[in-house]
Amino acid sequence: MISTLLHTPLFWAAMTIAAFLGGQQVYRLTGNNAFLPPILTGIVLVVTALEISGVSYDTYMRGGGYLHMMLGPVVVMLAVPLYQYLHTMRKQWLRIALAISLGSGTTVACAVLLTWWWIGDEAIFITMHSKSITTPVAVAINDQVGGISALASVFVIVTGILGALMIPPLLKASRMNDEQTVGLTLGICAHAIGTSRALELGPQQSAYAAMAMTLTATLHALVLPWLIHLY
Amino acid sequence: MPGLLILLIFLLLGGVTQQFFDLPVPASIIGMLLLLVALIVRGSASDSLKKITSVLSPLLPLFLIPVSVGVVTQKHALQEHGLALLAILAISIIPGALVCALIMSRGKKG
Repeated sequence: MISTLLHTPLFWAAMTIAAFLGGQQVYRLTGNNAFLPPILTGIVLVVTALEISGVSYDTYMRGGGYLHMMLGPVVVMLAVPLYQYLHTMRKQWLRIALAISLGSGTTVACAVLLTWWWIGDEAIFITMHSKSITTPVAVAINDQVGGISALASVFVIVTGILGALMIPPLLKASRMNDEQTVGLTLGICAHAIGTSRALELGPQQSAYAAMAMTLTATLHALVLPWLIHLY
Repeated sequence: MPGLLILLIFLLLGGVTQQFFDLPVPASIIGMLLLLVALIVRGSASDSLKKITSVLSPLLPLFLIPVSVGVVTQKHALQEHGLALLAILAISIIPGALVCALIMSRGKKG
């Protein structure tokens, strides 16, 4: 009877939603601790449930797939906030365009080169390219170019957590911490988790972070598939 | 038109465009760019689109859990390279953030 339940797709869909709600509670109860974004707790809870029950990822995905299916429309949806920020950036579009392309290019180039030297595994190397873009886009790109979507998602989340922790003090120490700079840097280097950190810092930071995150994702989605085809 | 239907139509348009021109770019990104162009041409985002955006945005992390749980299939890679990967991710943020910040703040006051 329990085994039947564990092999019912809807059980795992419900389990995932419950794990996410649990993650939100944990985040709230720990005073929005940057180490504990709801998605991380949610993943840990579901992974633990799979380990304990011995259910395979394929079986899980028959239910998890219902939620996964929503990623497509959600990526399309990113056009709406991007459209709303177009006015904000009109005045300094060149500066923003340079910061996004060179800044995100630098962080990805560093990560990719280090992966090549230290690890040398081709699939991980390809997956590392998408470490700096918001997860739904990273997953879509890796499905497209033969990276490992599951690892891509983990890289992106870890990058987001580290970036949200490291960037504000780093910029403060180097005295480049006006609101727009902090927001934009968080959006470029720490995508969605950085953007939610920016939301806590202020409205200006948050608008710049959200805009930077979406533009970075769009730029990388357009460039990376061609780049990876060249290898 | 309800917002979700608009998103699905643009996702479909993105998929058709991708197949037709045989593009390596993900269908959802093409759909997003088409929607962006449509919004610019139209001059505003409809209320239904704004509504679905405010409904879906907070749920985004939830939709990402299933694919992330796929990390259970990558235990081998993480056992072997976990620490190196963590170090790479941490180190690579620093030059990227400094480049962004330099470009954003250089010459601004002058």
